[in-house]
Amino acid sequence: MIDFPSTLLITSILGALLAGFACSTTGAFVVRMNLSSIGYLMSHAAFAGAAFGLMISIDPIIGAIFFSFGISLVLGPLAEKARLESNIVIGFLFSFMIALAFIFLNFIPGTAASARALRILWGSIFSVSTTDLFLLSIFSFIIIVFVVIFYKELIAIMFNRKLAESSGVNTRLYYFAVLFLTGIAVSLSIRIVGGLLVFALIINPTSTAYQFFFDFKKIFIFSPIIGIVSCLVGFWLSLISDFPIGASIVLISAIVFTIAIIFSPKRKKGKSKIKKVLA
Amino acid sequence: MKKNSNLIELVNIETVYEGERLPVIYDVNLKVEPGEFISIIGPNGAGKTTLLETINGLLTYSKGKGFVFGKEIKKHKSEIRKEIGYVIQNFEMDPLAPFLCKDIVMSGRTGKIGTFRFARKKDWDKVWYSMGLVGMIDFANRPIGKLSGGEFQKILLSRALAQNPKLLLLDEPFSNLDYASRKQVETLLNRIHEKNNITILIVSHDLNFVPSRCKRIIVLEHGKIIMDGSREKILKSEIINSIFNGNGGKI
Repeated sequence: MIDFPSTLLITSILGALLAGFACSTTGAFVVRMNLSSIGYLMSHAAFAGAAFGLMISIDPIIGAIFFSFGISLVLGPLAEKARLESNIVIGFLFSFMIALAFIFLNFIPGTAASARALRILWGSIFSVSTTDLFLLSIFSFIIIVFVVIFYKELIAIMFNRKLAESSGVNTRLYYFAVLFLTGIAVSLSIRIVGGLLVFALIINPTSTAYQFFFDFKKIFIFSPIIGIVSCLVGFWLSLISDFPIGASIVLISAIVFTIAIIFSPKRKKGKSKIKKVLA
Repeated sequence: MKKNSNLIELVNIETVYEGERLPVIYDVNLKVEPGEFISIIGPNGAGKTTLLETINGLLTYSKGKGFVFGKEIKKHKSEIRKEIGYVIQNFEMDPLAPFLCKDIVMSGRTGKIGTFRFARKKDWDKVWYSMGLVGMIDFANRPIGKLSGGEFQKILLSRALAQNPKLLLLDEPFSNLDYASRKQVETLLNRIHEKNNITILIVSHDLNFVPSRCKRIIVLEHGKIIMDGSREKILKSEIINSIFNGNGGKI
């Protein structure tokens, strides 16, 4: 294990904790609304953004955040306008973003700079700055307020969008908001977990929580807890094993998910009581 | 605001789906008075669901004028919807879905409670009352995905009732139900109509299950109302016989 200055260690731990919280809380919506491919899209939008940033000689992270913000803003309205499933629009934008990224990369002088753009896809927790922490904290606060205030609307929409609309909920607005918040969660966490692996952090903790609970309230509580624990344990694993941070976090969350599937009470067969009665 | 006694008034309504040329329903004229119990019957694709969803504003009509509670549907969509309970056609529910029955019933009150407001005791009282009305109070803490077709239908009905609606729109409430469950839901609808005096519009393709309190039947075919009259008159008519064509009472 390598020795790190304590401030760097604390910043990194906080970064892992906040990214775990942000991604897995938005994951609760993403999993239920079948939007799992949004993670791919956002990470590649960020990649294209980073390449763009390098091309015009600005910080690649600024480009990455700018692009994923932009995509999360247009995704909802575009899916509505085109009258297509969100997943189709996500697929379309995903390939479009990769195409853009390659074009931008082509214009970046030297391989060193291209490698910087590619780093967006892998992530590094030690590059987390206090600004990142500040932004993630604000976002975490916003997402908590969003869930608490609009809990009843969100439950209604996640159960059935048409029924929610028929009881007087403006479902479009909430749908866009969820897409937008997920986009922000991804773009803020990308530096830590890396673009390629961030969607695992969105999906795995919620999917794990799904194995145990039938009450959505509990999923909202346990999904971030599982996300945070996965991030912290993954961080620790990365320190002791020298694995890349994003990969370690995903490895842990995948292990947790596998264990959850094996031990899920939802999947256990009920034991018949009839025999006992007859005996 | 239109002043008359009709709860629903549709004048020459035509509804076209986006991207389509032909209207799904057209020349629809309909007047419904408060407290009526109406069955809308017709073959698949006749426009029954479209008619219901034009009434609650989920679909926007392209021609004509529509009023519900004296308010124009287009202009007062969300306001009107708060007073309309809607039960959509039975849909597939993921057995692992993480929702409890009581939360689903409560979700019917979402619009009524309003944005930035939380459910209060009186909202929960309404939830318990409507769950009791359909005999599902013991299912309050059960997961929604674990219910049988009939139980799920009753929860959807109780969700609509929790809204305390003036108007209840039911889309094929008897589909996917066995005989016993159909009878139960039918009895339930009769009881709700008698007790709460709600106006009920029910879409069905099965003439054997026109609830006994339903006194008026509307027949829809190819997007047009072809018959509208009393239960006795419609059931005895030649046209109905020709449509049903000895098909076991099913269109």
